Amino acid sequence: MAEQMRVVTKDIDVPGIDTLAVYEQHGGYQALRKALGMEPAAVLEEVKASGLRGRGGAGFPTGMKWSLLAKGSPKPTYVVCNSDESEPGTFKDRMLMEKLPHRLVEGVLISAYATGAKQAFIYIRGELALAARQVMRAIDEAYAAGYAGKNIMGSGHDIDVMVHRGAGAYICGEETALLESLEGKRGYPRLKPPFPAVAGLYGGPTVINNCETLSTVPAIIANGAAWYAAIGTEKSKGTRIFCLSGLVNRPGNYELPIGTTFRTLIEEFGGGVIGGKQVKAFIPGGSSTPMLPADKLDISADYESVAAAGSMFGAAGVIVLDEDTCIVGAVLRMTEFYRDESCGKCTPCREGTFWLVQLLERLEAGHGRAEDIDLLNDICDNISGKSFCPLGDAAATPIVSSIKLFRDEYIAHVTQGRCPFRARELATAGNH
Amino acid sequence: MSQESSNVPQVTLTIDGRSVTVPQGTVVWKAAQLAGIEIPIYCYHPKMPPLGACRMCFVEIEPMQPPVAKPPQTACTTEVREGMVVHTDTPLVQKARKGTLEFLLINHPLDCPICDKGGECDLQDFTLRYGPGASRFDLEKRHFQKPISVSENILLDRERCIACQRCVRFTQEIAQDNGLIMLQRGFRTEVGVDPNAPFDSIFSGNVVEMCPVGALTAKSYRFVTRPWELRRTPSVCPGCAVGCNVRVDVRVDRILRLTSRTNDDIDDGWLCDRGRWGYEPVNDPARLRVPLVRRNGELHETTWDAALDLVAEKLKATVVQYGSQAVGGIGSTHTTNEENYLFQKALREGLKTNNIDHYHGRFPAASQGAMPWVFTGTITGIDHAAHIVLLGADPYTRQPVLDLRIKKALRNGAKLTVINPEPARIDRLAARVWRNTPGSEAALARALMHVVLAENLARGDMAAGITPDYRSRFQNDTPERVAATIGATADDIRALAREIAGSDGAVILYDEMTTRQPGNETLAADAFELALLTDHVTRPHAGVGPLWEDANSLGARDMGVLPDVAPGYRPIKSPGMDYDAMLGGGVRALWVMGANPARHVDPALLDKLDFLVVQEMAMTETAKRADVVLPALSYAEKIGTVTNLERCVQPLRRALTPLPGARADWEILRALATRLGLNWAYRSPADVLTEIASAVPLYAGLTRVALGDQGKRWSFAGMPEVVEVR
Ligand SMILES: Cc1cc2nc3c(=O)[nH]c(=O)nc-3n(C[C@H](O)[C@H](O)[C@H](O)COP(=O)(O)O)c2cc1C
Ligand code: SF4
Repeated sequence: MAEQMRVVTKDIDVPGIDTLAVYEQHGGYQALRKALGMEPAAVLEEVKASGLRGRGGAGFPTGMKWSLLAKGSPKPTYVVCNSDESEPGTFKDRMLMEKLPHRLVEGVLISAYATGAKQAFIYIRGELALAARQVMRAIDEAYAAGYAGKNIMGSGHDIDVMVHRGAGAYICGEETALLESLEGKRGYPRLKPPFPAVAGLYGGPTVINNCETLSTVPAIIANGAAWYAAIGTEKSKGTRIFCLSGLVNRPGNYELPIGTTFRTLIEEFGGGVIGGKQVKAFIPGGSSTPMLPADKLDISADYESVAAAGSMFGAAGVIVLDEDTCIVGAVLRMTEFYRDESCGKCTPCREGTFWLVQLLERLEAGHGRAEDIDLLNDICDNISGKSFCPLGDAAATPIVSSIKLFRDEYIAHVTQGRCPFRARELATAGNH
Repeated sequence: MSQESSNVPQVTLTIDGRSVTVPQGTVVWKAAQLAGIEIPIYCYHPKMPPLGACRMCFVEIEPMQPPVAKPPQTACTTEVREGMVVHTDTPLVQKARKGTLEFLLINHPLDCPICDKGGECDLQDFTLRYGPGASRFDLEKRHFQKPISVSENILLDRERCIACQRCVRFTQEIAQDNGLIMLQRGFRTEVGVDPNAPFDSIFSGNVVEMCPVGALTAKSYRFVTRPWELRRTPSVCPGCAVGCNVRVDVRVDRILRLTSRTNDDIDDGWLCDRGRWGYEPVNDPARLRVPLVRRNGELHETTWDAALDLVAEKLKATVVQYGSQAVGGIGSTHTTNEENYLFQKALREGLKTNNIDHYHGRFPAASQGAMPWVFTGTITGIDHAAHIVLLGADPYTRQPVLDLRIKKALRNGAKLTVINPEPARIDRLAARVWRNTPGSEAALARALMHVVLAENLARGDMAAGITPDYRSRFQNDTPERVAATIGATADDIRALAREIAGSDGAVILYDEMTTRQPGNETLAADAFELALLTDHVTRPHAGVGPLWEDANSLGARDMGVLPDVAPGYRPIKSPGMDYDAMLGGGVRALWVMGANPARHVDPALLDKLDFLVVQEMAMTETAKRADVVLPALSYAEKIGTVTNLERCVQPLRRALTPLPGARADWEILRALATRLGLNWAYRSPADVLTEIASAVPLYAGLTRVALGDQGKRWSFAGMPEVVEVR
C-alpha cells in the first residue's frame, strides 16, 4: 500500500508520543527552541515563506494572517486555536489532539511567540472530551518543563496557554462566534469589520488558526520554509490530512502531499468503495463544499484544481457517496444538520433551513411535487449571499450542487411517489 | 445635541439618484432615512450598534456589473463612503426583500385581525409594501403555547417573534439590567427570561414599544383597542423630574397607553415603567368630580359657585380678623408653571401674604443670591462626562431615565462613584461604592474640598482668588474626621478628591431630598462649592446640582412658590413663612394646590387649622381633612408648561377631554382671584405664559411658540444676581 507523507502526523504511531518524554525523544520542542533563538519577525517570515494556508476551511495564507495583526493596540494580542472541528466529514483535529497534543501545544507557543501574544487559548469542541484531556495534560507537562508560562526556556518570554471547551455548537467554529463563546457569551457570529486581527478577543488583536494549521508550524520551523514549500503543488504547499469517510473500505485520516488525486486517496488509501461499487459523487472538503461527480475523481486535490472543478478544498473532509446512495436522503441528512446548527441570528438561515428540511423530507418520503425542486433552488438563492455568515451559504451548498448534478434523482422521487433507493433496499432485503 | 457631530467630516453619497450629505460613520440605512427614502428593516435601532441580523434592509451598491459586482448589501451595516452610489429598488433588492419576508412569514401566524400590533406592525406594513403576494410555504408552522408572561406587565407570543433581538439588546446593552435573553438556537430560537434573573427592570416597557411585531405586548394594552382608534397627543411624562417626552394615546375618555416621543436631549427615546404605566390615576373612576364642603364634620357635595364663594369668604375673613400673616398657601410640584405662577400671585396680590412654599429639599435661602440648587450641566452633557459622582442619589428608583443616561456615559468610558447609604442597582457598574451614614454627604463634600485646598488642586476662576482666610474654612474637615461615616478610608477620600479635581468633566449629583437629612443642611452649597473649586460648574460634560423629585419641582421654585422670592428668584423684602412654619401652627387658613402635606407632616397638624382648602384630583389624606375640596384636572386634560431638572421648559397639551365636573387649577385660581377682588383677564394658560415670558427675566422669551414641541432650557443669564460662594 502507498505510504502517507508524515509531516504534521510525524511519529503519530510511536507509543507514548502523547507524553512529553517520548515527544522530546523524537525532537519535540526543538522547533520552539529554534524559534526562540530567532526574532519573532523572522519566525513569521518563515511561516509566510512556507506557503502554509489555513486548514480550517477558507485556506487563507497563515503568515499573511499573522502579519495583518493590528500594531500598537492598547489591548493585548491573543492567539486562538480553533479546535471546534464540527464540520460533517472532518475528524483530523480530533486525532491530532488525542494522539499528538504536544505538537499542537508547541505550534501554539511558536505562533504566540511570532505574533507577540502572551496568552493563547485552545478552543476545543465540547464533545471531544478525550482530546481536551490530552491537550490539557500536555499543557500541564509543558508548563512543568518550562516550555510554557513565565520565562519560557529561559528566553525571558512569557506565554500562557489555556484550554476552553465549547458547549456543543457548530457555529462556534466560525471564528467570531468562537470569540463570543470564548468570552462567555452566546455563540453568535460578529459583524465584520472589525476583523479579529484588529479587534478580536476582548477587543484585542487576535489570530485564529485551525488546529491542523498550528500543528504544522513546528515542522516548518524545524525544517525550514523551503523544505515545506517543496511539498505540494505550485500554489498549494505542503501536506493535508484528508478525512476520508463514506462508503469506502478503509475510512480514516490520511496525510498526503497536496496534489494527490482524489482517486488515489479513495482507491489506494481508502481501499476503494465497499463491495466494489461505483462512486456516484464525492464531497471534497466537508459537507459545506459542493459535491462533485465521479468524473472529477482524477483532479488534483489542491485549492486551485478543486475550485476549478466547481467546489472547494475546505477542510479536506472527503465524503464518498456510492451508486446506491440516495442523493435526496443524503442531502436531507446534511440539511438537517444545518437546520439544527444554525445559530438563529439571521432570518434566511434560521427560517430557510427549517423550510428546506420540510421540503426535502416531503420529497424523500415520496410526497413531493415537481415544483418543489425549483422551490428548493429558489429558497437556496434567498439564503446564499443573503445570510449573515457562511453557515447559511453552506446550508444551501449540498442542495444546489446535488440538484445540478442529480436532478433526475429528485424527479424520480416525485414521479415514483417514493424513494427509489429505499424501494430497492427493501426489495433486496426481501430476497434474503 | 449634535454639538459633537459638527466636528465629524461630512460624506456625500447618492441614494436612488438623490444626493445626501451625512457625517462620516453613518450607515447607509440612516443616510437613506435622512434623504426620505424608506428601507425596510427590523433589527436596526438608532440607539444601538448595527446588528445585521434580520436581512431585510438590502441595497445594491455600485459597481453592480461583473466582475466586481457584489450581492446586495445590508444597509444597516454598511458605512457611507464619499461618492458611494446606492440603489434601494433594483430587481435583486426586491427579490432579496421578498425572500426575507417570505421567510419571516413561514412561521408567523396570520392573526393580524386579533393582534394588538395590527395597524402599526412593521411586518404587516413591509409585507404589504415589499412582500410577496402569497407564500409558497404549505407545510407545518412552528407552534408555541400562547402567550407566556415574561414579566409582571408583559406578555410574549413566541410564534409572532421574528427574533430581531431589539428587546434583548435593549435590556442587555441599554438598560444593562435583568432582562430578556435569546434561548435555544436556529429555528427553535425564542426570546425568554433567564430563570435566575426575573425581568424586573423598571425599563421593561421599552421592549414592548421596540418590538416591531406583536410578540411583546403590555398586559394593560392587550385587546383594549385598535391603534387607528387612538387619538395621539404629544405631552410630557408627569412621573418625575426628568420630563421624558411622551405621546398620550387616548380612546374616548381614557388613556390607554403612553409611548415615547423621542427627545434625544432628554429621554433619548426611553421611558420608565413608572411613567409609562402611571396613567391609572387619570382614568380612575374614583376621581373627584364635584366640589365638596365640610358640614357637621362630613364632606358634602356642593356647587362650584357655593364652594368658591365659601373659600374666598373664609380666606378674606381670616385676613380681616387676623391679618395676612394668618393665611398661607402650599403650591405644587405637579401642576404647571402657569398655575404655580397664578397661585403665588393670588396669594401675594389677593391676600397680601408671602406665606407661600411647597415641599422641597433644603437649599440656602433663595433671597441671599446664592443659587446652588440648579443643576448646572445638561442631561446630554452627562453622555460624555468623565466621572459621575452620585452623592446620595439613586436615579434608578427616583429619576429612572437618568439612570440610562448614566449607563450611556459609562459605555462611553465614564467612571462612576456611588456614595449612598442604601444598596442601589447601579452599584454593580460603579468603580467605587461607599456606604455612608445618612446625612454625612455634606461633610464628605467639605472633606473633599479640604483635600483640594490642602493639595493645591483648585482650578478655574476660583483658584486665583483663594485667600488664606478662605483656605482655613475647611481646615477642620479632614478626611480622617469623616472617613468612618463615609464608609471609606481617608486615603480613599483623598483619591476621590484628586480624581474630581483632575477630571475632564465630573458630574456631581445629589437627590433633592438628601438635603433634608439632618447633617446635610449645607449639602447643596457644599456640593456646589466643591464643583466650583474643581472647575466643574460650567465645563462641558460636567455640572453639579440636585435631582428633583417631581415633574415640576424646579418649575415651582422658578415660579416663586417660595416665601422669600418672587418668580425668577427676585428677592422679596419681607419673606413669609416656610412650609414647616405654616403647617406647624403659623397660619390659621391654608390654601393647598396639588400637594399632599399629610404625607410629610403629622396629619393632625392639619386638623388644627381653622380653614383648609385643597385643589386635588383624588381624595388624598390631605383632602380628607379639608373644609373645601375643589376637584382638579390632570396634566393630560389641560395645557401649560413644566420645567424639568435641567431647566428645560416643556409644553403639555390637552390629550383627554376634561373630566366633567372637575376644573383645571388655573381656572380654579382665576375664579378665586376674581372673588378676592383681582381683575384677571387670562383666557388660557397661554396668556399666563405670555405674561411670565415678559415679566420674569428668567423665562424671558419662553413663549408657547418659542418652546415648540420639545421645549427650551432657560438660561442662567436670566438669574437676578451672579452666583457667589456664600
Ligand atoms: C460555520 C462555520 C464553521 C466553522 N468551523 C470551523 C471549525 O470547526 N474549525 C476550524 O478550524 N475552522 C472553522 N471555520 C473556519 C473559521 O471561521 C476560520 O476561518 C478558521 O478557524 C481560520 O483558521 P485557518 O486560517 O487556520 O484555517 C468555520 C467557519 C464557519 C463559517
Ligand atoms: S447564517 Fe445567520 S443564522 Fe445561520 S449561522 Fe450564520 S448568522 Fe446564524
